Amino acid sequence: MDPFDDDELRFLLRTWKAPGAPASLRAPVLPRRAAADRGGVRSTFARALRWLATGSIRIPVPIGVAALIVLALWAYDRTPPEPVTVPAAAPVTLDDFRPVARLEPRIVGEP
Amino acid sequence: MTEAEVQSAFDDHKDAVYRFAWRMSDPAAAEDIAQEVFLALLSRPERFDPARGTLRAFLLGITRNLALKRWRDAHRWEPLEEEGFVAPPDDLERRDTAEAVAACVRALPPLQREVVILAEYEELPLAEIASAVGADVGVVKSRLHRARQNLKRMLQPLRARAGAAFQATDGQ
Repeated sequence: MDPFDDDELRFLLRTWKAPGAPASLRAPVLPRRAAADRGGVRSTFARALRWLATGSIRIPVPIGVAALIVLALWAYDRTPPEPVTVPAAAPVTLDDFRPVARLEPRIVGEP
Repeated sequence: MTEAEVQSAFDDHKDAVYRFAWRMSDPAAAEDIAQEVFLALLSRPERFDPARGTLRAFLLGITRNLALKRWRDAHRWEPLEEEGFVAPPDDLERRDTAEAVAACVRALPPLQREVVILAEYEELPLAEIASAVGADVGVVKSRLHRARQNLKRMLQPLRARAGAAFQATDGQ
């Protein structure tokens, strides 16, 4: 059998046909652009808001984990200690002060 | 990009993008991939640099990256390129020719599959293929050669079946 050359290979490959883009591809793509083009600055702002609400950012897992740990430590450090409640001392007055009626000195220490 | 330019880009390249996604990935994902490609163009049109290649090569490059991402998600532990990959002849008796060819192309490692699709089906020149896949022309040539050798090995049983039709076209 003759060697399998590139032309024969190409002939075989071309038997596998692929369809063209379906009509349904247009709608999700172009109307969004048509809406975005209207409004100038407002549309830019609207797109930014939409991205904030629905967009996504890819973060490597180690960075994400490290960020969570740092956040947790920061939140723990900021937690204020529980306040210690000290009951208010009763105000001191001399209203009930009475001088000693009779003084009786006594020497302590001797039997 | 103006709306007219976007419309023009979409109309000019949607079929090529969709066909490439359809062949690289599974047909069910092709429309999603094609949609993501054009939405990427709409959201960041400044990423296209005409000095680095054509718009078609740029769009096919995005398609390629999205298709490979899906493949990597589904084949987490397999390498994209297997330089030592040698395809065995396939059991093609029970398939029709187009189905057999599809199976053989999809059996190639992804980096060989993409260059074959861009060269044989989209008929891109080597420089544009290199731009789309982000590799040197020499690397693309090497992958294309290995891919063709593998396809010839896999499709050898089909030669007898297709031989008469090929002779009739005189290889055109």
